Amino acid sequence: MVTSTSLVYLIALPLFGAAVLLLAGRRSDKWGHLLATALSASSFGVGLYQLSQMLARPTEERAITQKLFSWINVGTFNVDAGLLLDQLSICFVLLITGVGTLIHIYSISYMSHDENRRRFFAYLNLFIAAMLLLVLGNSYLNLYVGWEGVGLASYLLIGFWNQKPAYATASKKAFVMNRVGDMGLSFAIMIAFATLGTVSFSGVEEASHTASKAALTAIGIMLLVAATGKSAQFPLQAWLGDAMAGPTPVSALIHAATMVTAGVYLIVRSNFIFDAAPTAQLLVVIVGAVTLMFGALVGTAKDDIKKALAASTMSQIGYMVLGAGLGPAGYAFAIMHLLTHGFFKAGMFLGAGSVMHGMNDQVDMRRYGALRKFMPITFATFGLGYLAIIGVPPFAGFYSKDAIIETAFNAGGLKGILLGSTALLGAAITAFYMTRVMVLTFTSKERWEENQHPHESPLLMWLPMAILAIGSVTTGFLFTRGHALVNWLSPVVGEHAEGEKVLLQPMVVSGLALLAVIIGVGIAIAKYQLSDVESVAPQDVSIFTKIARKDLMQDSFNEAVFMRPGQALTTLLVQGDEKVIDGAVRGVAATALGAGSTFRRTQTGFARSYAALILIGAIALIAAIWVVTQ
Amino acid sequence: MVLPLIGSVLVALIPNDQVLRIKQAALGTTLLVAITGVLAWVKFDSGNTALQFVESAKWIPSFGINYAVGVDGLAIVLILMSVLLAPVVVLAGWNESEGGRWSAKVYYILLLILETMMIGVFSATDLFLFYVLFEAILIPVYFLIGGFGTGDRAAAAVKFLLYSLFGGLVMLAAIIGLFVISGTHGGYTFDIARLSELHTYMSSTTQNLLFLGFFIAFAIKAPVWPLHTWLPDAAESATPGTSVLLVGVLDKIGTFGMIRFCLTLFPDASKTFTPLILVLAVISILYGAFLAIGSRDIKRLIAYTSISHFGFITMGIFAMTSQGVSGATLYMFNHGFSTAALFLVAGWMISRRGSSTISDFGGLQRVTPVMAWSFFIAGMSSLALPGLSSFVSEFLVLVGTYTRYPVAAVIATFGIVLAALYILIPVQKALHGPVTPGNENLPDLTLREKIAIAPVIAVIVALGFYPSPLLNVINPSSAHILEVQGFTDPLPSESAGK
Amino acid sequence: MDFTAPVLNYALLAPILIVLGGALVGVLIEAFAPRASRHNSQLFVTIASLVAALSALLRVRNQSSASAAMGSVAFDGAGFLLQASILIIAILSVFLIADQENFTALAAAVPGSEEERNSLQADLRVTEVYPLTLFAVARMLLFPLASDLITLFVALEMLSLPLYLMAGLSRRRRLLSQESALKYFLLGAFSSAFFLLGIAYLYGYSSSITFAGIQASITGGSGNDVFLLLGIAFISVGLLFKVGAVPFHAWSPDVYQGAPTAITGFMAAATKVAAFGAILRIYYVAFANDEWQWKPVLIVIAIVTMVFSSVVAISQRDVKRMLAYSSIAHAGFLLSGVIALNKSGLEASIFYLFVYGLATLGAFGIVTLVRDSSGEVTDLNRWSGLGKRSPILASVFALDLLSFAGIPMTSGFIGKFSIFSAAYESGSTAILISGVLSSAIAAFFYIRIIVIMFFKDPVEDGTSVVIPSALTTTTIAVTSVLTLVLGIYPAPLINFIASSASFIR
Repeated sequence: MVTSTSLVYLIALPLFGAAVLLLAGRRSDKWGHLLATALSASSFGVGLYQLSQMLARPTEERAITQKLFSWINVGTFNVDAGLLLDQLSICFVLLITGVGTLIHIYSISYMSHDENRRRFFAYLNLFIAAMLLLVLGNSYLNLYVGWEGVGLASYLLIGFWNQKPAYATASKKAFVMNRVGDMGLSFAIMIAFATLGTVSFSGVEEASHTASKAALTAIGIMLLVAATGKSAQFPLQAWLGDAMAGPTPVSALIHAATMVTAGVYLIVRSNFIFDAAPTAQLLVVIVGAVTLMFGALVGTAKDDIKKALAASTMSQIGYMVLGAGLGPAGYAFAIMHLLTHGFFKAGMFLGAGSVMHGMNDQVDMRRYGALRKFMPITFATFGLGYLAIIGVPPFAGFYSKDAIIETAFNAGGLKGILLGSTALLGAAITAFYMTRVMVLTFTSKERWEENQHPHESPLLMWLPMAILAIGSVTTGFLFTRGHALVNWLSPVVGEHAEGEKVLLQPMVVSGLALLAVIIGVGIAIAKYQLSDVESVAPQDVSIFTKIARKDLMQDSFNEAVFMRPGQALTTLLVQGDEKVIDGAVRGVAATALGAGSTFRRTQTGFARSYAALILIGAIALIAAIWVVTQ
Repeated sequence: MVLPLIGSVLVALIPNDQVLRIKQAALGTTLLVAITGVLAWVKFDSGNTALQFVESAKWIPSFGINYAVGVDGLAIVLILMSVLLAPVVVLAGWNESEGGRWSAKVYYILLLILETMMIGVFSATDLFLFYVLFEAILIPVYFLIGGFGTGDRAAAAVKFLLYSLFGGLVMLAAIIGLFVISGTHGGYTFDIARLSELHTYMSSTTQNLLFLGFFIAFAIKAPVWPLHTWLPDAAESATPGTSVLLVGVLDKIGTFGMIRFCLTLFPDASKTFTPLILVLAVISILYGAFLAIGSRDIKRLIAYTSISHFGFITMGIFAMTSQGVSGATLYMFNHGFSTAALFLVAGWMISRRGSSTISDFGGLQRVTPVMAWSFFIAGMSSLALPGLSSFVSEFLVLVGTYTRYPVAAVIATFGIVLAALYILIPVQKALHGPVTPGNENLPDLTLREKIAIAPVIAVIVALGFYPSPLLNVINPSSAHILEVQGFTDPLPSESAGK
Repeated sequence: MDFTAPVLNYALLAPILIVLGGALVGVLIEAFAPRASRHNSQLFVTIASLVAALSALLRVRNQSSASAAMGSVAFDGAGFLLQASILIIAILSVFLIADQENFTALAAAVPGSEEERNSLQADLRVTEVYPLTLFAVARMLLFPLASDLITLFVALEMLSLPLYLMAGLSRRRRLLSQESALKYFLLGAFSSAFFLLGIAYLYGYSSSITFAGIQASITGGSGNDVFLLLGIAFISVGLLFKVGAVPFHAWSPDVYQGAPTAITGFMAAATKVAAFGAILRIYYVAFANDEWQWKPVLIVIAIVTMVFSSVVAISQRDVKRMLAYSSIAHAGFLLSGVIALNKSGLEASIFYLFVYGLATLGAFGIVTLVRDSSGEVTDLNRWSGLGKRSPILASVFALDLLSFAGIPMTSGFIGKFSIFSAAYESGSTAILISGVLSSAIAAFFYIRIIVIMFFKDPVEDGTSVVIPSALTTTTIAVTSVLTLVLGIYPAPLINFIASSASFIR
C-alpha cells in the first residue's frame, strides 16, 4: 500500500489550533476565531489535495497510509499510531472539513456576542481534529482515540453554556451514554485481539477470512453497540435530544452532519466482519429500522424546532444504519445518504439557528409562524433542505433515501418486505413532521411573543446556509450519476453481486416513496396550514401524542431501570462500607479493648488471690505435663 | 538514594525560624534527586533484563542479610515516579507545612526521610531490607498525617498505622517461614533471586500459606477490597501533599510487592489464588467506583477512585500476561500522576474555599479557569480518556486480562462507565453550574501552583500519546518475570490460519 | 569419711566477689561514714565495684570451666554474656537510682508519721539502697551460672531479698510501695516453696542435684518419672514466677507500680536477664533430653502469656502498669526462645534480653522525669501533649515503645525476628503465629501512648518534665542510642554473641 507523509497535517492543523486557543487564553480573544476557521479551511484544502492525488492514482493504489510512530507495543499487542486514507475515509474527510469550515464561518457571526467565543472555536477545532482521527485511524484502537475524542468535544460543546445546570446535566448524560457505547468498542477490540491477535483494520480483515463465525459475530455485535451509542441509535438514543442544549452550530456540525454518523462509518468500515456474521448484520438492520421509526414518531410531537430536527436526525441515521446493515448492496447507499444528509440537515440546523437568531433564541415553533416574509434567505435555504430530506426528486435526499428503501425491499423474503415497508412508512412520517416544521415556522400565521422583531441574518451566517443548500440540491444527482459513489467505494466495501432476483423495480419503489411523501405532506398541511395552531401545546391530546412528546418514555425508562437502582445501590454500598466493613474493623479493636478490661478484673490487688492463682497455675501445670506424658 | 537523606540532615541543620530557607533546601534536594532519577532512567539499559545499578554490602551476615539494592525495569519506573512527584509535592504544598502540630522543619525532614525510604523500598533486592523499609516507612507517614493533617487526623493516622502494621506482621511471619526454609536449602539468605528458587522445595500448602502472608500485607497496602477502609480516612485527613505520596507512591509498594514477591517467590500459589484475587480485584474496581460516586467529600472521592484503580492494577498483575503486567506497571506510574494532579488541585480548591464538600463549590470554571482546567484534565486522565496516559495502561490491563480471563475483564470494563460518572459528577457540581455563593472571588492558581501542576499535566498528556519510553523499559522486565515463572501469553484463539 | 577442701577458681569468680566486696564496703560506709558524705561515697563505691567487676569479667571471658567451684557453678560463653549484660544494665540502673528524688528519706519511718516529716526536713537519704543493689547484682551474676539446684535456689533467694526491700523505698505513695513490697515478698516466698519442692522431687528422681546428673539420669531413663514430672513442674513454677509469666505474673503489675520507678527499671531489666539466664541453662542443660514432656506445656504458657498480657495492657491507664504488662508479654516472647532449644534460640534470647533490658531502662528512666508537685505522674492521660512540652524526651520514649513493639530499625525488631525464627525453626508454628498476633495487639497500646504524647494537646495541670540529672541523662542517652544502633546495624553484637554463646554440659 502506498505510504504518505502528509496525512498527519489533516489532523495536526486543527489540533494545533485548539491547543493554541486554549493555552493562549484570553490573549487570543481577538484573533482566535479567525485562526481556527483558517486552520479548518486549510485542513479542507489538504483534503482536496489528497483527493486530487487519489484520483490521479489507479484504483488499486488509491488507499494510502502513514505510520507516525509505534504507539503501544507489549508482547504480541502492537499498535502503531498510523493513519489510513482510502476512498471511504476521503468522503468523510471532505465532509468533516468542508461542512466544518462552513460552520466555523457561520459561528463567527452567530457567537459574536458570546464572551467565550474563543473557547467555542477551540472546542470546534478540537472536534474536527478528533473526528478526522476517528475516520483516519488505521486500527480500531486509533479509531477509539478519535471516538472518545469527539465524545469529549461533544461533551464540552453541549455543556458550553454549562452555567445552566440543565445544560451541564445534558452534557454529562451525553458523555455517559456514549461511554456505554464505548464499552462495546473496547469489548470489540479485546475480542478481536484475543481471537484474531490484531486490532488493525487490515489485520482484522485478513484474519476475518479464517476466523470462526462465533468470534466475528461477537465482534460485530459489540461494534454495533458502539455504533448505537455514538449514533444515537436505539436503545442508546436518549442523549441526542438533550444534546440540543449546545449552541446551534454545534448541533449542525456534531449532532447532525458528522459525529453522530460515526457509527455508520464504523459499521461500513467493518464491512468484512458484518458480511461474515449474518446474525450481527441482522441486528444492525433491526436497530436501524426501529430507530428510524422511533425518531420519526418523536419528531411528529416536538414543538422545539431543534429537538424536532434532532429527532429527524436520529431517524435519518436509522436509514443509514439500515442501509449499512444490508451488506455490500447497502454500504454505498448508506454512505451516500450520510453525505447528502450531512448537507441538508446541517443546512436546516443552521437555518434553525438563523431563525432563533432572529427570534431572540425562541425555540418553540408554536411561537413562530409567517417568518417567510421576514427571513427569505433562511426560508429558501431551509426549504431546499426540507425538500431534500423528505425525498422529493431531484433533490439529494430522494436519490439516497430511495436507494436505501429499494435495497431494503430487495433484501429478500419477509425480511425485505418488512424492512422496505418500514422504511416507506418512515418516509411518510418524515414528510409529515418536516412539513409540520416548515409550516409552523415559515408559512402559518404568526404567533410571536411580544416585541419580537424577526430579521434576516448577516452574510456570514446565510452564506454557509446557501452553500449547504446548493449541496443538498445537487449532491444526490452527482453521486448517483453512473453509480459514481458506488463504484468509488467498491474497493473498500466490496462489489455488490448484481443480477439477483429483484422484488420491486426501482421505478415502483420511487413511485411508492413519492406517494408516501405526498400523503405525509398532505396531512401536515391540512393539520397545520389550513387550520389554526395554538401558541401553547394543547394538553388534552391522545395518549400517543403524550408518549411521543415524552420521547416514547425513553428517559422514564432509563431512570426506572438504571438511574434509580444505581443510586440505591450506591447509597447501600456507602452505608455498607461505613457500617459493615469498617464496622468489622472497629469491632475487632473494640473486642480487644473489652477483653482487656475484663481480664483486668483478675488483678484484684489481694495477695491471697494472687497466691491462689499461682497454686491453680501450678496444679494446671502438673496436670498438663501429666497429660502430655501419658 | 542517599541524597534525600543528606537533604533531610541539611534541613535539620537549618534553624526553625528560617522557614523559607528550609523550604528552599527541601525543594533543592528533591529536584536534585529527581534529576538523578531521570539520569538513572536514561542510563538504564532496557535491553538487559538483569538487575542494574546493583550495590551490595554485608549487613547481618549471620542471618544472611545484606544491604543489597538494584533495579529492574519495574523498579526504575516506580522510582522515577516517586522522585518526580516529590518536588512537585514540595512546591505544590509550599504552605502545607505550616499550621501543623510541629514546625515546618519537621514536615520537610519527614518528607525527605520518606522519599529516601520510598526509593529504598523499590530498589531493595534483599527481602529483609525490603521489609525493614516497608515497615519503617509507616512512621514518617504516620507523623505526616497525624501531625500536619486536618480533621480527625490522629484517629486516621492510627487507623492507617495499625492496619499496615497488622499486614506487616502477617508478612513477617511469612518471611520468617521463608527464611527458615532457605536455611534448610543452601543456607540462610534473603536474596530475592535465591529465594525465588525455593518454591520448588515447598509443599503446596506451605507455599499457599506463605503467599497469603505476603499477599495480605500487600492487599492492605494496595488497598484491595475489603481491606481498604483505612485509605479514605487517611486521605481525607492528610494534607494534599501527603495524600499524593501516600496514595500515589506508597500504596504502589503493595502492587509492586505483588509482582516482585507474590508472583516471583510463589508462582504456583499465585496460580492457585488467582481466581480469588481476580474476584477481589473486580469487586474493588466496581465497589470503589460506586463509593466514589456516592461520596460527598472530594478527598474521599479521590481515595475511592484510587481503590478502583488499584483494582485494575491488581487484576492486570494476576492476569499474568505480558500486557497485564506491563500495563499494571505503567498503570502504577500513570495513576501516580493523575491522582497527584487530582489531590493537589483538590487541595488548592479546599484551601481556597475552606471546605472539602463538593457541593460547596460550583461554577469554578468561570471563577478560576486554570484551576478548573487542571482538575478537568486530571479527571479525564482518571477516567482513562484516550489520548491521556491512563488510557494506555488501563486498556493494556483489560486486553491482557481478557486474553486469559475474559469474564473478569468484561465485568471490569463496566468500571469505565462508572468512572465517567464519578469524575463528571464532581466536575458538574464543582466546575459547572452557576457560581455558588462564597465562590465569586476565589483566586485562581498562583504562578507557583501553575509551575507545580504543569509538569504533571504535561506527563499525563505526553504519555497518552507516546508511552513507549516507559513501556520499552518495563516490557523486558515484565516479560522476564513471567518467563522465569513459566507463564506464557495465550495465543490468539483464531490464529490457526496465520 | 574424708573431707576435700573446696577448690575455687578465684579468677573466674572474681566478678561476683568484687560486687559482694563492694556491697560489704557499702555496709561499712552506712555504719561509719558521716551522713553528709554517705551518698556520694556510696555511689562511687557502687559504680566502681560494678565497673571493676565488668573488667574482671572481660579478662576471663575466653576461659570456661565447669569445675571452678566444685561443679556448682558453670562458667561458659553464655554465662559470660549474661553476666556482662547484667553488669551493664546494673551500672545504667544505678545511674537512675542515684536520682534520690524517688526514694523515701527514712525507710523505717511509718508513713505519715512525725518521724517521716522530720526525716524529710532533714533531707535524709536512703543510701542503703546502694549496698542492697550490689547484693542483688552479685546474686544475679551467680544465678545464671548456677549449675546445681542448691546454688540455683540460694542465688534465687538471695537476689530476691534485697529486691523485696528496695521495692518498699518509694518516697511518695509509700503505703502503696510498702504494700507492693510485702506482696512481692509473700508471693516470692510462696513460689520459692514450690521451687524447693521441685528440687526435692528432682533429687528423688535422679539422686543428684547437679544439672549434669539430672540430665544423665533423664538420658538413662532410670528412676521414677512421676518425680521427674513433679520436679520439672515445681521448678518451672518458681522460675516462671520470677520472670512473671502468666499465670504467675499477678505480682508484677502491683510491684512495678508500687516500687520506686528506678528500682522497677532495675528489676524489669536485670532480674529478667538473670532469671531467664537460669531458665535457659536449666532447660537447655538439665531438662534438654526430656523436652517432649515440658515443651508443649511451655509453649502453651508462652502463648497465653503473650496474648493475655497484650490484651490486658490495652486497657491500662497507668504507664508503669502498662510497662509491667508489656514486660510480661516480653517474658512470653522470651519463653519462645527457651522453647526453641537450639543454638540460634539461645543466641536470640541473649540478644533479646540485652536489648530489651536497655529499652526498659530507658523507658523507666523517662518515667522518672515526668512529675508534678506531688511526684511522678504515671497517669497516661496526663502525659498528653508531652511531645509539645519536651519533644526530645517524648521522641526517645516513643523510640523505646517502638522497640517494644518490634518496629524495624529498632533493636526490638531484630530481637523479635531472631527469636521467632529460632522458635519456628524448632518447629513450633503456633508460637510464631500467636507471637505475631500478640505483637499486633501490643502495637495497639504502644501506639496509643505515642498518640497521647504527640497528637493530644497538653493539659495544664502542673505536669512537667524535670531537667534530668547528668547520670539519668547518660542512661537515657546510652539506652536510646544503643536501641537505635542495634536496630540498624546489629551485626557486630550478633556475631559476638554467636561466637561465644554456648552452654557447657
